Formats: sequence, C-alpha cells, structure tokens
Amino acid sequence: MSLKDVLSPFTAWKYVFRDPVTIENPLRDRPGAARYRGFHKNDPELCIGCGTCETICQNGAIDMVPAPGRDPRQGDSALRPRIDYGRCCWCALCVDVCMTKSLSMSNEYIWVDRDPDAFRFTPGIDSKRWDSAELGYHRPEHHRLVPEHRPHMGELEPEERIGSFAEIVDGYTVEQARAEADRCVSCGLCIATCPAHMDIPNYIAAIRDGDYRHGLELLYRTNPFSEICGRVCTHKCETVCAAGHTGEPVAIRWLKRHIVDQVPYEQYRDVLAPPAPATGRTVAVVGAGPAGLTAAFDLARLGHAVTVYEALDKPGGMTRWGIPEYRLPYDIIDRDVDVIRSMGVDLRCGQRIGGDVTLGQLRDGHDAVVLALGLQMGRATRIPGSDHPDVRKAVDLLRQATAGEDFGTPQQAVVIGGGNVAMDIARTLARLQKQAFGTVRVTVTALEDFAHFLADPDEIKESFEEGVVILDARGPQAVVIEDGEVAGLKTWKVKSIFDEQGRFAPSYDETDEMIHPGSMVVEAIGQMTDTALLGEDLTEKLAWNRGRLQVDAKGRTSEPWLWAAGDMVRGPDVVSAVADGHRVAAGIHAALTGKEDQA
Amino acid sequence: MRALLDSLKSLYPLDDIVLQRPDLAFATVPAAQVRGLLHHLKEREGFTHLVLLTAVDWLEDGMFQLTYLLHDRARARDLGLRTLIRRDRATMDGIHDLWPTAATYQRELKEMFGIDFPGSPGVDDPFVLEGWTDLPPYRRDFDTKDFSERNFNHREGRVTHDPAAHMKRHLYPDEA
Amino acid sequence: MALYTPDRSQYPAALPDGSLEFDLASGKYLKLWQGPQHPGITGNMSLELTVCGDEIVHARTHVGYLHRGFEKLMERRTFIQCFPIVCRICVPEPDFNEYCYAQAVEELAGIEAPERARWIRTLILEMGRINSYMMYLGGQAGSLGQAVIGQWTTYGRDLMLDRFEELTGARIYHMFILPGGVRDGLPDGFETRMEETLREIERIMADVEDVMFHNAVFKTRTVGQGIIRPEWIEDYGVTGPNARAAGVVKDVRKDQPYLVYPELDFEPVSGTDSDVFTRADVRRRDVHVSIDLVRQILARMPKDGPLMAKVPNVLHWKIPKGETYVRGECSRGEYGYYLVTDGSGYPRRVNVRGPSYTHAMALLEKMIVGVNIADVAGLMVSLHTYPPEIER
Repeated sequence: MSLKDVLSPFTAWKYVFRDPVTIENPLRDRPGAARYRGFHKNDPELCIGCGTCETICQNGAIDMVPAPGRDPRQGDSALRPRIDYGRCCWCALCVDVCMTKSLSMSNEYIWVDRDPDAFRFTPGIDSKRWDSAELGYHRPEHHRLVPEHRPHMGELEPEERIGSFAEIVDGYTVEQARAEADRCVSCGLCIATCPAHMDIPNYIAAIRDGDYRHGLELLYRTNPFSEICGRVCTHKCETVCAAGHTGEPVAIRWLKRHIVDQVPYEQYRDVLAPPAPATGRTVAVVGAGPAGLTAAFDLARLGHAVTVYEALDKPGGMTRWGIPEYRLPYDIIDRDVDVIRSMGVDLRCGQRIGGDVTLGQLRDGHDAVVLALGLQMGRATRIPGSDHPDVRKAVDLLRQATAGEDFGTPQQAVVIGGGNVAMDIARTLARLQKQAFGTVRVTVTALEDFAHFLADPDEIKESFEEGVVILDARGPQAVVIEDGEVAGLKTWKVKSIFDEQGRFAPSYDETDEMIHPGSMVVEAIGQMTDTALLGEDLTEKLAWNRGRLQVDAKGRTSEPWLWAAGDMVRGPDVVSAVADGHRVAAGIHAALTGKEDQA
Repeated sequence: MRALLDSLKSLYPLDDIVLQRPDLAFATVPAAQVRGLLHHLKEREGFTHLVLLTAVDWLEDGMFQLTYLLHDRARARDLGLRTLIRRDRATMDGIHDLWPTAATYQRELKEMFGIDFPGSPGVDDPFVLEGWTDLPPYRRDFDTKDFSERNFNHREGRVTHDPAAHMKRHLYPDEA
Repeated sequence: MALYTPDRSQYPAALPDGSLEFDLASGKYLKLWQGPQHPGITGNMSLELTVCGDEIVHARTHVGYLHRGFEKLMERRTFIQCFPIVCRICVPEPDFNEYCYAQAVEELAGIEAPERARWIRTLILEMGRINSYMMYLGGQAGSLGQAVIGQWTTYGRDLMLDRFEELTGARIYHMFILPGGVRDGLPDGFETRMEETLREIERIMADVEDVMFHNAVFKTRTVGQGIIRPEWIEDYGVTGPNARAAGVVKDVRKDQPYLVYPELDFEPVSGTDSDVFTRADVRRRDVHVSIDLVRQILARMPKDGPLMAKVPNVLHWKIPKGETYVRGECSRGEYGYYLVTDGSGYPRRVNVRGPSYTHAMALLEKMIVGVNIADVAGLMVSLHTYPPEIER
C-alpha cells in the first residue's frame, strides 16, 4: 500500500470531462452489421418449398405452409417456410442449407408488436419492412452444408466406345453411390414429377443405409422396369431436384441403376410377394413393351390370368427395338421381363394380332383387352425426294440394327431431327461406319437451336465426342438426288419454329442454304402408331383425339372392354409408359372386381 | 503413452484400449479395479488432475459406462478409464477420498443417472433438480420430448405440411 | 492485512469427521441466502450461508436455476443441430463451446478444419477471452463497490462485441465455428477497426489499473483474501487463472497447444499470492496477452484459402463409434468436451467440462468458511465462475 494507491483512484474524475460513449438513438443510429443474422427474408419466386430449412431447424421453429395464390407445380410444392420467432434462435442453419439460396436474413433486429402471433410469419409472403434490406446474412458462396457435385462416374472413352456397341457408363461403385445418395435432402419434390411417382427419397435413403434389398423392394412397388429405367429413363425427376438449383441435381437415374446392380438377380423374386390367389378373370395385353408388361405385371400380381401378345420375336418394345445397345444392353431387358414372367404372365412373342388371332377373338376370350402398341412407325418429312428408297426412317433402321440385319451402312449419312431418336440413329450409324469403314461421317440437322434442343445434353455431348456433326437450327427442304442416287440434304437456316399463336410453323432464312452430303438420309422427326389391327369397324366406332386413341383417366377407350396404354396414348417415354401400365391395370382391376366406383 | 499402457496392462486387466490421439487414450477396466488403478495413476504416474467423471448410458446393453478422465500435466497426456456397471445395480465406489471434488460429480451422477456412490458426501442431496420423481433424466429411456409434451402447453396455430404429400394431394390425388 | 477479527466465542464445535455441528435453534447461527437474485452473486446461483455473527461458518452452493439439459437435448439432435445449442452453455464466453464441440466432431469424423479456419478460430477465442475478462473486471470491482469500473469495461466489451457482430453476424451467440471450419472470412477493413478497438481497450485497461488496482480500498479488501492453497489445486481440479495466481502455471495453450497457438508468441501470466487481488491482477495482465495475440493473429493469418473442410450432407451425417475429449484454455480455465458417438447420426453423449463446475461448487464451499459476509461476493467473483456450465 502506498500513497499512489490512495491518490490514483482520483484519476477517475477525468471522465467528467469526456463525452459519453453511448449511442444517443440506438433505434435509429445502430443498424446491424452487414452479416447480421436478423429477421428472415425469403424470395418466394426462388423458393421451391422443399422444406430443407424445416428439416435442419433444431428448434422446430419452421412450418411449411401453403402460400396464398400459389399452386403446386413441377419442382415447386408451393409451400413456403413460416417461422415462429418464439422458437427461432437465429442460428441461420436454414439459410446455410437452403437449396435455392432464396432464404436469407436481414440486418434488421427491432420489431415490436402487441400481438404475440404476429411473430409467426412467412417471410417473403407476409410483407415486412426489412424485405428490401440489402444487408444481413446470406450464405457465403463457399459455405456448403450439402455437397454440390456428383461423384465422377467412370465411362468408356469416346475412342474406345465408338468401335462397338458396348455399354458406355460403368455405373456407380458402392462408395460413389453412397456419396451421391448422401447429397439427396429427401425433400420429395421429385416424386410428383416422376410419371410413376417412384419413392425416390426412400430408395436413395436405402442406398445410404446400404439396404439394397429394401431399395429394390421400393423400386418394384412402383416400377417393374427398374433395370431399364436405371439406364435409359428420361429422368425428369432430376430436372426438378432441389440440389440442382445451386449445384448438380442428384443422379437419381444412376442411383436407381445402382440398386439393381447391387442386388443379386437370383434374389429379385424374394423381394416380391407372390401373386394373389387366382380370381378367374383373364386379360389380354397386346404389345410387350413397358406399358403392356407393367399392366400385365400388376394384373398378374392381383390374381388375374394375363396373356401378352407380342408381334416381334422378343419382348421389350421400343426399349429393345428402339434404344441402341450401347445405352441399354439387351440382357438387361431380359432380366426385367423374366421377373414379370415369373409372376405368371403368359408372354407370347411372334404373335401378331390381326393375323391368325384377331382382336375380336381376344375380346371374346378375355374379360378385358389392353392395347399397348407403342409408336413404331416413323413420321415422314414429305420434303421433295423423301420418297427415295435411301431415305429411311430412324425407327426402322434401329429395329433392323437390333435384329442384326444389314441395311447397307452408308459411307456418309444425314439425319433429320434433334430428339433422342435422332441421336440414337446417328450414334448407331457412327458405330456401324466405324466398324465398316473406320471413319465416322454422320451429320445431324435439327430444327431447334442448341438452347432449345430436344435431346438430352448427355446425348449431345457424347455424340460430339464420337465424331457426329450436329448442326442446329437447320430446316430440311429437299433430298438432293443425283443420277437417281441420294447425294445429300438441302437445308435452310431456321428463323423461328412456332408462330405467334404457338403453332408449329417454321420460318426460314432462304439465303442461308446448305447442302449436307450423304448417300442416305434418315428421318427421325417423330413416330406414330400402326393401328391397322383395329380393323375398319372398330376404328370407326372408337373415339379418337388428334390421331390418338381417346382414353379416360383410367385408360379405358370408348369401348368398355378395350383399354389402351403407353406411348400410343401418352407419347414416347419409358417411365410414362410404366406409369400408364399401372394406371390401366388399376382401372381394369377395379372394373373386374366391381370396385370401380371406389377406385 | 504406449509404454504407459503396456506397463499398466501388466498390472491391471485393461481392455478395449483405444489410442485416440498421441496424447489421449481410453481403456476399460473392471469396476473392482477402478479405485486401485486411479490411485496408482495419481500417485505413481503423475495423473494428478481429475478432468471429469461422467457416465454414458448403453441402454441396449443394460450397462452404464463410467468415464474417469485423468490428466498428467507434466507429460501433457490424458487417460480415460471406462468401467461398465449394470444399469439395474447402478452402484459404484466413490473416489471422493482421492479427489474431494469428485463428490460433486458423484452427486450429479446420482441425480441425473441414478448411479449411487454410497458414502459420498451429500450424494443424496438434489443437485439441479428439486422434487424430481420421474426417471433420472439423463438415462436414455427418459424421453425429454414426451416429458415436455406432458408438462407444458402447446401454443396453438402451428401446422406444417410435407412437400411430397402436399404435391400429391394437389397434383395427382387419384394415383397410387 | 485484515481489518476484521472474528468473534469465535460462539463458534460451533467440530464433529469427529471435521464437519461442524450447528444447532439453529440455539440462536447462535443464522441461515442466509445469497442469491439466486442478488447483486453479489455471479449468474443464476445461490449460496446457502450459515453465519455466526458476521462470519460464514458453513456454505452450500445451489445451482439449477438455469438448467436446460443441453447435454440431453444434444442426444436428440443431429451433429449439425447441436451446433447452435452449445454456445448457450456459457453466455459470456460462448466460443469455447463452439470450438470444442466442432473439434471433437471433426476428430471423430476424421476431417480437419482448413488452416485459415484454424487461425480465425484462434482469433475468435482470444477476442472472447478479452470480453470475458472485461466482464469479470467490472464484476470484481462492482462486488467491492466500485461501480464505475463496470461501466468502462462494459464499454470496452461492447466495442469488441461490435467486432464480433461484423465478423460472425451476432454479438453474443456467435454461432460461427461449426464442425468443418468457420462460416466466413474476415470482413473488409476488419483489421483496422480491430486495431482501433484494441487501442481503446488498452486505454480503458490503463484507467482500470489506475483506479481499480492502485487503490487502497481494493487492496485492503482483496490482498490476503480468499487464498487457494496449493494442495487444493489438484484436489479440486483448479485450472486457469485461479491456478496460475497460485503459482501453478497451468495453461492449455502452452501445455497442450491447439489450433495455431504453437505459432504464436506469448507467455502465460501467473502470480504467487493466490489471493483475490492476485487473481484479479493475473486476469488484468492476461487481457494484454490476449490483445497482443489478436494483433499477432491478424498480422500473420492467411488472407485466403478455404474456410470449410468438405463435410458430408449435414442432414444425414453419421459418425463412427468412438469417443474423445477436446480441451481449450478459456478465460476461467480448462474448458472441455467429452463426446461419445455410436455410429448413428446423433451424439451418444456430450459431457461439457466447464471450469466453474469445480470452482463454484466444492472449491467455493471450502474457501468461503471463515469469511466475512461482506467479502463473500468479492470472493465468489474472484473465482470467475459462470453457472450455466455447471448445470449444462
């Protein structure tokens, strides 16, 4: 203790002469910092209502509620997060995990209200004064709580694959599949978009858990063609995947394939319950494509006796006769079909209806008849010269390629069309050319420009890798014929495809003309159904809609005994055909068991 | 640390040894040997600091794990001793004579897990709870959510929707 | 020097086991509750004092006024969902919870936070240490009647909270250090504003030294008071400044260096007298060490580089079976997390080891006997305890 200890405390008096350090009006003069985690904001246009914010909220502060004036649509549940500020702890995990970056926080932190229920609100829907605040917490770009990239999947190199029809992609390894399955946030937005409404989040969860048997069981609940769909599904689900908004969408299709790859084929039947006891009712199905066989599968499992008639000598429909082997090996189709057969389905191939057996006989011999004919006739461009024998239809060539028939591989070919069928035939021709001549000379001319291309991006990328030339926005004008031989295709630049009313009416820039040389021109501009088996009378009696057989919501035609499903009523798509097969089977079952009204 | 574990192994039945970090190891020892080993570690091996004493409930196995974490400051290393005791006979010898502060841990374990340490000062006094009649709350079979639902009122007005179910209801109600 | 001489004529007799026998009906003793609502108590605690005259003859500490069952709540939350909870276990210095929890999860999950995140974590921990000490100094002075010190240190702490706010997005519960790394880097111009803050705090600390420490009243009340005997250090698990003021230079930052402490230049502060004054002085000097550390960190930390390790989708994050203990040196001593995982997506057990657990319970009960009622508050504050970490 010293004199200093007595005097020193008096230095505190200097504060008398200091200005106060308090902020005079903190309500006005004290905005939150730029990163402040204040009241929530949500961009309702960006938000897809996936509910991941609700899932991560450890306080249970978030409810997903319908937003007024919004209806659910593909990829948007129309639900929006409502936050209960009685529970929120401002941790911002909801902002960090938000799949679209729609959710953020403002730097606003003062809110007084007499009504306690006011503090339960839907950001972006219930307008608040901080909605336009620029400052506040937003997820920093690098800060990810959900990985945004797919694991790399091994595939054949272009040089390697062009020489054969070997399958291109390897499929995921267990490790890769788990990593990819891990990226799924289980929001389930994809289920509505999948035509078959497959239980995607749960079968992906089965991969995470390594429970492949359960995964296969889930697949079979909605899709007996998981082997096929695991490879060639149009995977519309991936276009609405929540992960796709700020990263790559989850590779749902490859994950499905992974499940079927992992379960030993001998065990497939074990995951399926045996068919129900026989009902004594019989159903005939015409066409052994995905729609017909799905309907047959369902009906057989319900105890009905099902006979499937297939005109060609092998089942599978367009999946076999349309899709090239490098995308879908034929034995894969056999695996799916054999499981269906094991349910007691009587599959008769090489039995064309309209010949020895007529549709009338089927009607008389069965309680119901399903037409699942598919789209097997190529549409014609009807441009000058297109009636030349070397102007061919893509579907015909693909069918011949599958059958192993030699259709005279051209040294140089031109394909008209920009959809997946055009890519299929272009890449098939490319392989045949490589085998026959060692060089690839295929030109694809598509009406659409690349920004609006119909074929999958993967198809375009792989086609380019394989040396196929793709020219976008070219409208076919005439097949060039020299000395009676096809010499190429004349095209004009497309200015627009649709008119102001949205009708198909392409307009061209005639000054931009090109001749694409080739000794074969292939038309791949769409397909239609060969309905000759209906016969004149029935064709006359049935109701039609723009050239397609008209059916009700359950797939029934205007003739009560006749049902129709698949591409012929829905347009070309494997998984839609599967969905339609289920639909028509459910309709028939309800009709046969007299539960139609409840169905 | 390896050398220490080897020498301890020759004296005590150590099991399930995990070298978690170069400076941190865990080992399991039978309950009857715990006091002897702790005493040895404290007096002979320099583990003079009792970092913590706590329990883990392995409900599925019917066992409580007691973890005694000791620190040897001179050699900057930690040793966690586990011992497993039966849940239905949850009693253990106290170590408050080795470290007086252990009485606090033991009192808390009695209250929160229902593990008794006979003779530990104040072991039966309430620690944070008063008038508690339910299961000891840190046991795994005590359900906190259920407890709060039984004892507290829910505020009205909360309802949520599952996105997939909501979309099905609106977009394809009739399909499977 | 002691101004107070107790009257021991009424003192209770000792029982054979060393405890004292009170006959409350005799009128010699009085039960006195200090807390849970009392200006002379730290946080939500209470002391059940038995006094004889002005002297405490027996004390029992009571906690449970702030029990929220965090350890149990975490068993029902995914690993990421525990992250916003842990900070609440220590309000004035929450960052050690975030660091220890994140580090324990990372260790058991086999991931490592990037270099830059490790520097930022260290920065945050030192910023928090300064704040914790500022709060303590105000409390220590206040417990002995010097209210003005609290006004000054609260101002300094507020400036540091501004820095916390611009760095982490929040003032108290920063929620910034999460398993995998940290949320973000430093905002533009942060170093400059931090330097201004540090200078202002240094100015405040100079005034605190003049007015609080060179102060006859403060010295009279604190020198020789509340001595922690050396043998109690291990008996009661005493750590941090409480141990360092007793000459036991325990400092996890030196003893078992973590984060980037091996690269930083500092010496732990210690004392010898082990009384209230020495403990206060150790903490005052430690503020300057932390200020220096913040400057070193800002000057030497990497300016770019990743801030988060690659973490799996946190919604499904499962961690293999295992257990670990992670400790750090907080402003009050050893802070640690004992984490047990069982291979599921939820922690099997989280046990938080806060220094107050031993300091405020067994140690305080022992030290308080024989103290004058008026000195209880000063003694208790001198142990620098935060009740929430006792009852978690």
